[in-house]
Amino acid sequence: MSEVEAKPKANENPILFVARPMATAARQFARSLVRPSTIVYPFERLEDPKFRGQVAVAPGKPIGLGEVWDNYRGVHALNIETCISCNLCAFSCPDLCIDMVTVPGGDPKHPKKCPQIDYGKCSYCGFCSDACPEGCLTMTTRYELSVTKRADMVYSPQRLNEVFRTRLPMSPIRLARPANEDSILLDPPLCIGCNACSRDCPTECITMLDIPKPEAKPGEKFPKRIWKEPVINDSDCVRCGTCISVCPKECLFWGTRK
Amino acid sequence: MSEMWINMGPQHPMTHGLWNLRVKIDGEMILDVDPEMGYLHRGIEKISEDRHYNEVVTLMDRCCYVAGFAWEHLYILASEGALHIQPPERAEYLRVLCDEFQRIGSHIMWYAAFVQDLGLMSPFLYGMRDRDLVLDLFQSYTGARMTYEYMRVGGVRSDLPPGFTDRARQVLDWLTQRYEEYDQLCLGSTIFRKRCDDLGTLKAADCVAHGVTGPMLRAAGMKRDLRRDRPYAVYPQLDFDVAVADGADVTARYLVRMEELRQSVRILRQVVDWLDRHPGPVMAEQLPRWLGAPYAPVGAEGYLLKRNFPKGVGFSSVEEPHGEAQAYVVNEGGEHPYRVKFRSPVFANISAARQYLVGYHVADIPPIMGSVDVCVGEVDR
Repeated sequence: MSEVEAKPKANENPILFVARPMATAARQFARSLVRPSTIVYPFERLEDPKFRGQVAVAPGKPIGLGEVWDNYRGVHALNIETCISCNLCAFSCPDLCIDMVTVPGGDPKHPKKCPQIDYGKCSYCGFCSDACPEGCLTMTTRYELSVTKRADMVYSPQRLNEVFRTRLPMSPIRLARPANEDSILLDPPLCIGCNACSRDCPTECITMLDIPKPEAKPGEKFPKRIWKEPVINDSDCVRCGTCISVCPKECLFWGTRK
Repeated sequence: MSEMWINMGPQHPMTHGLWNLRVKIDGEMILDVDPEMGYLHRGIEKISEDRHYNEVVTLMDRCCYVAGFAWEHLYILASEGALHIQPPERAEYLRVLCDEFQRIGSHIMWYAAFVQDLGLMSPFLYGMRDRDLVLDLFQSYTGARMTYEYMRVGGVRSDLPPGFTDRARQVLDWLTQRYEEYDQLCLGSTIFRKRCDDLGTLKAADCVAHGVTGPMLRAAGMKRDLRRDRPYAVYPQLDFDVAVADGADVTARYLVRMEELRQSVRILRQVVDWLDRHPGPVMAEQLPRWLGAPYAPVGAEGYLLKRNFPKGVGFSSVEEPHGEAQAYVVNEGGEHPYRVKFRSPVFANISAARQYLVGYHVADIPPIMGSVDVCVGEVDR
């Protein structure tokens, strides 16, 4: 265990009084002429190619880590074409700044909904891009967002798609997911075979299969239902939970498949 | 009328945040002080009850703007205790990596602000420049410089990018050289020593009586560090010393923090070497669905109860850069924590202000309060 050494006696020489700290400052000043630590912001930018790939303290280079810029969590980029309208970004947003708005392109029964982000509320936590199962909502390095009206802070899906088209570097960070994820399970006695889950599934991984109608015993009355049951393809499922939220009988739930 | 109360704060360079120090003075002498906190209260504990376990992490970064990782770690440790989840070892090493780099960042930030309180400008610039390297490292694997959102229940968000450990070693080498410079600028200066020696004395007995922890306690000669006394994460496997000084004054607190900066570098070298040698998963194997980061709807409340998810309470205490922080999380089986409570070290440290301020001059308040390292975000939460 280390004890910090006793305090050295204060130096009383009147010249060294100020000379020592100033010598350090002068050394720093001389070094800063060779190796500046400031990037002149509006004219130079950290994301400029000339600062890329420079490691912290290489001689003759500005102090800083230029190659880390790609990971920055800035404005989102949305690829509308691959968005499957699964709602996961909106569900995962802690600030409730994502609204799912209808965009053209869906059929009348399946309106296509894509995220619209209010940057007045967004905290850039990245949970939405972590949640996106298709990788169509990612975060870019764009960070200059000043506007003059509050309404301009709301980015529609089309505007987010324009950010995507500019092909800024996007964050390569991908979430470390648990190896065994929970699946969606069915509680068969409650199901009425209404097809709601299969109809709304964004990946169309739910198939309604016929189940045999049991023989009615005398005097017994069956519940009124369609004799079908959803079967979920786990490999296609993105675990968005849309089926759970549309199920009228609450018969779908998360669990480990045996 | 020779005595009067004056308000230092809530807007005063001394406060380093938003709190008010009422001082009763007679001429230049301090007769009494009365710290008032609560200007920055955001209700983080209450908001946490309405969020998923992982979403609370976004609030933890806002608890303390210079020690976000320490608070994330604190909350995550308590949550994992409440939820009975064991993270993989690599995730724990990554958390220690975050913690120690955060300690370096926080202490350098303290150094910069404290020395500027004394009226010296150039150390502030050097401190901010060197802290920027630490922030760059954080950005390279979390994507943000201050609000990281990196730790998750059951692990961490992502693994390190390629080449990180080499960059980290270079930054550590650079920082080690800079520490010598910091000492030359401060300890080598007689002005600094005359200003800070025998100032703001708070003896170990008073520290214990008022719950003062962290560098202030260690500067009073008591060897108390939760990393050694109540080890969490992988600290038992790491080799480091507890920095202690015996002066109980402002200079002693400076010495303790400077020694902690060196010890953090020593810990980080071991952690970085370990991370190089042991690749592996950074997230627990099996997690309940509503603990994964994408929060899909979990269905009716009744199903949560039917599934009989184990209840529990979690308690954790972490040696934060400012002192001993503690968290208590109650899990009643739902998708949100039932109750979250935090203990802020800085709250206790500035509550004891009467003990180390009375008897000194008004002009001594900035150096003394600067040596406490106040971060109001965690005081009020």
